[in-house]
Amino acid sequence: MNISAIRDIKDWPWLVLLPVIGFVLIGIFAPAIMPYDPSAQDYSATLEGMSWNHWLGTDYLGRDVFSRIVGGARISLVAMVIVLVAALAIGVTIGSFAGYVGGRVELVLISIIDIALALPSLVIALALIGILGTGYWSMITALTLAWWANYARMSRAVVTAELQQPYIEAARVMGAGHLWIFVRHILPHVLALVVVYASADAGALVLAIATLSFLGLGVAPPTPEWGQMLVDGMSYIEEVPRLVVLPGLALTLVVVSFNLLGEAFALQKVPRPVRGATLRRRRRARAREEAERNAVETGTTSA
Amino acid sequence: MSDAAAIEVRGLKVHFANRSGAGAVRAVDGIDLTVARGAFHGIVGESGCGKTTLARTIVGLQKESEGTVLIGGRNRAEWLKSDRKSFSREVQFVFQDPLGSMSRRQSVYQTLEEPLQIHRFGSSVERRRRIAELLDLVALPETVLDRLPRSLSGGQRQRVSIARALALKPSILVCDEPLSALDVSIRAQIVNLFTSLQKQLGLTIVIVAHDLAIVREVCSDVTVMYLGRISEAGVTRPLFREPAHPYSQALLSAVPSPDPRIEAGRRRIILAGDPPSPSAPPPGCRFNTRCPVAIDVCRVEEPMLRSVPHGGVAACHLADSGRRPVI
Amino acid sequence: MSDAQPIYSIEDLVIDLYATTVSVRAVDGVSFNVRPGETVAVVGESGSGKTVMTLGPLGLLPEGVTVDMKGSARADGSELLSIGSRQLSDLRGRYFGVIFQDPMSALNPMLKIGPQLARQARRFAGLSHEAARKEAVSLLARSGIPDPEDRYNRYPHEMSGGMLQRAMIALALAARPRVLIADEPTTALDATVQAQILELIRQIQREDGIAVVLITHDIGVVASVADRVIVLYAGQVAEEGTAMDVLTRPVHPYTRGLLASVPDFRADERAATREIPGLPPNQIRLEPGCRFAERCELVEAGCRQHRPPLQTISASTSPHRVACPVVLKREGIAVHV
Ligand SMILES: Nc1ncnc2c1ncn2[C@@H]1O[C@H](COP(=O)(O)OP(=O)(O)OP(=O)(O)O)[C@@H](O)[C@H]1O
Ligand SMILES: Nc1ncnc2c1ncn2[C@@H]1O[C@H](COP(=O)(O)OP(=O)(O)OP(=O)(O)O)[C@@H](O)[C@H]1O
Ligand code: SF4
Ligand SMILES: [Mg+2]
Ligand SMILES: [Mg+2]
Repeated sequence: MNISAIRDIKDWPWLVLLPVIGFVLIGIFAPAIMPYDPSAQDYSATLEGMSWNHWLGTDYLGRDVFSRIVGGARISLVAMVIVLVAALAIGVTIGSFAGYVGGRVELVLISIIDIALALPSLVIALALIGILGTGYWSMITALTLAWWANYARMSRAVVTAELQQPYIEAARVMGAGHLWIFVRHILPHVLALVVVYASADAGALVLAIATLSFLGLGVAPPTPEWGQMLVDGMSYIEEVPRLVVLPGLALTLVVVSFNLLGEAFALQKVPRPVRGATLRRRRRARAREEAERNAVETGTTSA
Repeated sequence: MSDAAAIEVRGLKVHFANRSGAGAVRAVDGIDLTVARGAFHGIVGESGCGKTTLARTIVGLQKESEGTVLIGGRNRAEWLKSDRKSFSREVQFVFQDPLGSMSRRQSVYQTLEEPLQIHRFGSSVERRRRIAELLDLVALPETVLDRLPRSLSGGQRQRVSIARALALKPSILVCDEPLSALDVSIRAQIVNLFTSLQKQLGLTIVIVAHDLAIVREVCSDVTVMYLGRISEAGVTRPLFREPAHPYSQALLSAVPSPDPRIEAGRRRIILAGDPPSPSAPPPGCRFNTRCPVAIDVCRVEEPMLRSVPHGGVAACHLADSGRRPVI
Repeated sequence: MSDAQPIYSIEDLVIDLYATTVSVRAVDGVSFNVRPGETVAVVGESGSGKTVMTLGPLGLLPEGVTVDMKGSARADGSELLSIGSRQLSDLRGRYFGVIFQDPMSALNPMLKIGPQLARQARRFAGLSHEAARKEAVSLLARSGIPDPEDRYNRYPHEMSGGMLQRAMIALALAARPRVLIADEPTTALDATVQAQILELIRQIQREDGIAVVLITHDIGVVASVADRVIVLYAGQVAEEGTAMDVLTRPVHPYTRGLLASVPDFRADERAATREIPGLPPNQIRLEPGCRFAERCELVEAGCRQHRPPLQTISASTSPHRVACPVVLKREGIAVHV
């Protein structure tokens, strides 16, 4: 949110971030990375093993598995980002509004949020797809509507807690309007918390997208999608386990690394004392100063 | 608003609903108060008697249950509703708890810049200059600018919050125990600062304070509260010299002296009993449960404020313009 | 009282704080101790290290800073600077009671007052649920809060500043500690309640023989309750001795300035209080010599080079010590060895 937060990224465990960054980069540059069109079929080369031509082999329609995994990353990434942004926008808006306005409006909104939270997200998504029909956009809509409530509840809790802080009153006294107070003082706290959860949720979302596609309710073939690839591979699991194992691995890696990212964020929130190299440097500087001071104080005493 | 009083409080009551369903907490229970322009007005009284609530109601942080507050002759409630910004350029508030009143995420610089930004004060260069001036005013070094409130000492924090209140050059400053968190030598500086600001800018200052020595030194007028009401009011020095209300007498006698020799031999009036609950004030005089000189009428009839020998007013049956009880 | 063994003692304590932007030497070689039944007051300017000195060894400084401590702090047969955090937190709950300067920081704003007190009493005084509740109500009542039953169920923001402060005191006493550390316990209170609270602390001190470390700005409070006084300046001891010695015969130029800046309500009405000119030092760089030199009227060339030793000028069981050779020399005050 501000410069110092960005500077702090330096201290993050990069190892945890690498898979996430890898996933995002692969998703963004997928078209440049993919050696083949991921949906192009080649009946002359079905179920091929790993080779220089096809790094991870081909599937039963002769499509390049590597290209499909990379293409699948892009699909998951885009769908996940759309759902997250939409869910965050809806959740933060509704939750903050409820918390800020209070009173009866809050009660009504909380009831809605609580109902939405009482059901597992995937169940809501399935029910909504039942209503909206299958397809990419209905999957996105369904997931968004299944996911927002969590953020709404968190936002409301943060807003309610922050509103009680005396510094909000101080801002009122300075003449700040509601918008100013919300944007300058409350929203940063809301986002700081919600983003942590969202980063951990990203993995779960990727998984949910794969699950829906696996069930044939999400991304339709021939678009490369990991859940889709799992279904396709299932029939060949005995002969070519690779077709199941590879997308499964990709999925696992992404989910786990997003969870780790969420955790890293959560740790970030706790104010940390100075440590590591900075601390060592400053301790040395202090010791040097102390030695100098002692030298002056004792040196002149003996003189 | 030229000749209207800076602050006029009429029949003010502020009640808080009680959780356990019993009577409401009557934090402020019928107060009339006039603060003239340029006055330095002290409010003192027992902890929990409603001083903070009164101060907060004056600046509009708390809604009145009954009564009105006029600022420079203008109805505060309406003014706030129609133009919050111009109100905040007129009246500022200094909080009792400096740490809580500043965002824990904002550096001192951001904290001081905020009011200027809200009121769209100048360019960022001009704002920086104004902030430097403010730091000078409250005697803080520039090095505090990029620190967070938590990393400042208690005294430094309060100076930042005073600087922030002064940023908009208000003409009325309401302070809720601004000195409690400061140590004595800084207190002297801030007090001197308050007085000089007041003289220079014709600032009107209302200050809730516990340090009676300072109140005597800087406040031109003083109001003593007990259990949501005014028990005595007047010009500070004469009032402190011969307080008419028994509560004021007890309060003044409780102030310790910094000299242990005086402390060893001094007579103190120790009030018996606990302060009554503000949700069920006793019938008659509010002080009668602890008053050493109470008579029968005190337990049934509530005394009105009346003129007393020091020239001010007090709410005690035993006092009038010719006499005062001495305990 | 002075022949008893100290139950809490600090020896040559040095505390460095490393925050994100600055390194501060908050405490710079301080020694002091308290004995059962005794009250030691720590006075000094804001930022002089009073809070850090007393809370640092207990591991109670706010998170977000790295704290380096050297020297020694002993209580209950343990060296606080080297025992594990588990033992330290146990000791803190059982042996030390702390009244924090900022009441809001010690109370959880989301929980009601009463249960917070009861929990403390249950945890450290080993009371049953019901007994803890009773104890909490009685603590509230003892600290002079009207309507304790009702306040039991209130949230911190629904109490007045003074009541919170009293609840804090109740909280600190809930565990029946041996050493009470009170950081500005009465600043938010009016004179009558202040007198009540000091009486409460004194009474508990008499009953349980606890030692009290009282940090305060209020010299009046010091005069009325303290046995001994330590005057801190920029993390170093400027002067120490019995309250009578230090307050009525101050020697160090800083102590004199400090006392002169205190208006005496009992004495005649005076003109404006005097302030000590200049700013307190920032403690970020370690300068040689006397830390007060910048603001001192008596300053001599040597002051900026030698760290003034604490010299004893009256040797009783609680010696009067002053860290300013210049004033001793000028006024011909004899130094005991
Ligand atoms: N969390 C922190 N981060 C950085 N510096 C700190 C922190 N806490 C204290 N300090 C610094 O340590 C020094 C001593 O602070 P301390 O709080 O002990 O002062 P104090 O004597 O208790 O002052 P006050 O009377 O204002 O409470 C000060 O210079 C202060 O700025
Ligand atoms: N939000 C609230 N809800 C319920 N009761 C409240 C609230 N705010 C204050 N009170 C009660 O109102 C009374 C007056 O409180 P107030 O804070 O005005 O006292 P005060 O005179 O400022 O005391 P102090 O000197 O201790 O700060 C107290 O009994 C307090 O418990
Ligand atoms: S009216 Fe009666 S009870 Fe009240 S202060 Fe006067 S003498 Fe005491
Ligand atoms: Mg108050
Ligand atoms: Mg402190």
